[in-house]
Amino acid sequence: MKKRPEEPGLNMTPMIDVVFQLIIFFVTTADMQQKAIDESIRLALAPHAKPVETRDPREVVIEVDKNGKISIARTYMSPEYLYTVMKKTVADQGQTVPVIIRADGDTHHEAVRAAMDACTKAGLWKMKFSAVKEKAG
Amino acid sequence: MARKRKRNLGGDAGELNMTAMIDVVFQLLIFFLVTQKPIDTMANLDVFRPSPTPPKDEVQTPPNMIRIQVLPSGVITINDRTVGHSELEMLLGKLAGLSQNQTIMILCSAQSRHEDLVRVLDLCAKTGLVNLSVVSIN
Repeated sequence: MKKRPEEPGLNMTPMIDVVFQLIIFFVTTADMQQKAIDESIRLALAPHAKPVETRDPREVVIEVDKNGKISIARTYMSPEYLYTVMKKTVADQGQTVPVIIRADGDTHHEAVRAAMDACTKAGLWKMKFSAVKEKAG
Repeated sequence: MARKRKRNLGGDAGELNMTAMIDVVFQLLIFFLVTQKPIDTMANLDVFRPSPTPPKDEVQTPPNMIRIQVLPSGVITINDRTVGHSELEMLLGKLAGLSQNQTIMILCSAQSRHEDLVRVLDLCAKTGLVNLSVVSIN
């Protein structure tokens, strides 16, 4: 009899605490995924290209910075090593792996060429250049 | 007296104090608004890459193929004729009108900027040409 009056009022505080914890967890982990790309790369503009809608989880993003340095997920490598990596990728996942090249607009073509040649040598002929369709803000 | 106090405590626990929660929610909102960076809309440009072969491959190029050349100075030529961006766009539009599946060969010199190549690819994408082959030249 004494306990009854307390029952109708549900204590929301722990639930709200947990919900906020979850929100913060997901927001921070979603951010982590984007950290794998080099933010200093200034992509060229391509206002007429088709926008990126779906992302293949197998895709390999090769980055070429302003100085022509090649990297994957912020790990710098020589074109020879890139070839080894791509050969391994092809051996593991076949020749349908999408290759995306994120090259700085100011870099010389020879650096991009080195990256492309490494892919071609590994058996990947189809590739994509990443560009900015529309600048935000 | 003691009884009354007990009842009061019970009433407090039932009502949720919103002030603290709203404070925290606003703090979070402001934090995310400040830290968030606007995301650019990205686009991908498809290209084909012929296998790396010695320069003799260039000689074998059939003469009727459309060749776009990107030179180090940013100058663009189409079948050895220098063109501006608007003229190139017009010519590509005409070509696309004939067939969108014809192969366009884009010859890019080693010292040219990547941005110039992307601009040509963008114009090709605008006109709907899909078979784009990027060849590097020295």
